[in-house]
Amino acid sequence: MAEMAAETVLQGTGIAKAFGAHQVLSDVRFRVADGEIVGLLGPNGSGKSTLLNIVSGFSRADAGEIRFRGNALSGLAAHDIARRGLVRTFQLPSMPTRMSVRQVLAAGSREGAGLVEAFLRRPADDPEVETLLDQFALSAVAHQPASSLSGGQKKLLSIALALRTRPSLLCLDEPTAGVHPQLRSRMVELLRAFNARGVAMLVVEHDMHFIRELCSRCIVLDRGEIIADCPPAQLAENERVVEAYLGKSVERPKVLS
Amino acid sequence: MFEFLLHVAIMACLYGMLALSLNLQVGFAGLINFGQIILFGAGTYGAALAFANGFGPVAGLALGVAFSTAIAVAFAQLGRNLGADYWGIATLAVAEVLRILITNEVDLTGGAQGIAGIPLIFGDWPRPVGPLMTLGLCLVILLAAWWFCRRLTESRFGLALKLIREEPMLALSLGYDLNAARTATLVVAGAMAALSGFVFAHYVTFVGPDQLVAAETFLIWAMVIIGGSGNHLGAIVGAILMQFLFAFVPFVKDAFGAPAEYVAAMRLTLVGGGLLVFLMWRTQGLIPERIGDARPAPATGRPAAARMVEKHNG
Repeated sequence: MAEMAAETVLQGTGIAKAFGAHQVLSDVRFRVADGEIVGLLGPNGSGKSTLLNIVSGFSRADAGEIRFRGNALSGLAAHDIARRGLVRTFQLPSMPTRMSVRQVLAAGSREGAGLVEAFLRRPADDPEVETLLDQFALSAVAHQPASSLSGGQKKLLSIALALRTRPSLLCLDEPTAGVHPQLRSRMVELLRAFNARGVAMLVVEHDMHFIRELCSRCIVLDRGEIIADCPPAQLAENERVVEAYLGKSVERPKVLS
Repeated sequence: MFEFLLHVAIMACLYGMLALSLNLQVGFAGLINFGQIILFGAGTYGAALAFANGFGPVAGLALGVAFSTAIAVAFAQLGRNLGADYWGIATLAVAEVLRILITNEVDLTGGAQGIAGIPLIFGDWPRPVGPLMTLGLCLVILLAAWWFCRRLTESRFGLALKLIREEPMLALSLGYDLNAARTATLVVAGAMAALSGFVFAHYVTFVGPDQLVAAETFLIWAMVIIGGSGNHLGAIVGAILMQFLFAFVPFVKDAFGAPAEYVAAMRLTLVGGGLLVFLMWRTQGLIPERIGDARPAPATGRPAAARMVEKHNG
């Protein structure tokens, strides 16, 4: 059992969340193992983003438990969870208007960012910033205000920022939405490269092509429940998944009289 | 005339400190503090209470900074559950409550009569020399504060503050403790304001609650907005400009033969009018914030205050 726990990066059990009378998640159970890239799929409104918010501490679950590397996360503030190595990105990343792309990326690491440290040493240029700018094809726009980037470039910058914190689990919320197809394949390469260096990932995504290229396993949510947990290739054969995405053949209900 | 100009210059330095302090909060940390004047009051009453109870100026300064730190921490705690604009209103309320408390705690603070007879700095020196030395001291403190602020905001801490100011959720997702960073900023800025108040108390030798009215906070706001929010030099320039404009008002009154009460009205008009003109036509102020690799901010750059409100409204 102890060995099992060591392999598990993230484990959720019995997670439930309701907004008023609307039950968004009910009894959700899932697991992400070390080195895995897990896709989190489901139609709009199925609860994917809510689950991501709960995992990253931006929202509180009504019930259930989340364990990250064996430690319960319940009650921890979002910044504490991020400091432990569970870092998330946002579906619509919003970037500062009065900071350059390079400055934003430099602020991605909290190293030396304390008040007292401001008077102990001069900020030095960080080679990692330049490496990330280069890897994520942002070098040419590094001096521009971060808010002036295109939607796709903002997505790339937000992923670079999250990686800058050296996470052990990266949660991505629709990383390819609004990203040019060329950049999309570049993103797959980059994410694979970081995964090879030991970053596990949980990816909310609608693009099945991207999922098939990137993920080893998929969890499918529908109306707040997990309806499938299998490799992406088997999704098309899963009746409940097909039903959730395409709908059931309609049968008119028999109404009495 | 020379002594009058000396007085205006000394006051400009003290207001410059207050503007630097507010700019650190508003321009860099996005903290819309409408209670700035009470942090100044922490310093004036620190000096006055130490004097009234027979302690020396060192104890007065320590007491002032202790007061400002307590108020700053209280301000930061208010912000935990409030949006930026609501927080601003809460700081205004706290500052007013404290001013009314000071006015009514007659036994402790002397009430509306205040505390008079606080020893003058360089009071033993003959007349133009004493004030000249005071101006020198104020200039040294102002320059030190300027260096301190620059060092702070050019550091990684300053970069983190800007990220927190503009995209708090993004900063949170990267592991920044927003409340800790805001508390640290408020405590540091509060100590600067208290230092200004402490020197002020030992310069005018009288401390009273009338020096802490909300209009004073908005005068400091006008200095920051007109000078350029997010730029230290801008804050200092704004403070000097406003002080010398204010000093000029009585002469304008005399030239037009207007009654004496016009002086206060014209000063108020300068504050309100200046704020309006700059918020509408030159939001970045006289000396704009620098972004990225030392490039001026684009003309569309709006001050933290305006953006915070916009963001809140959707």
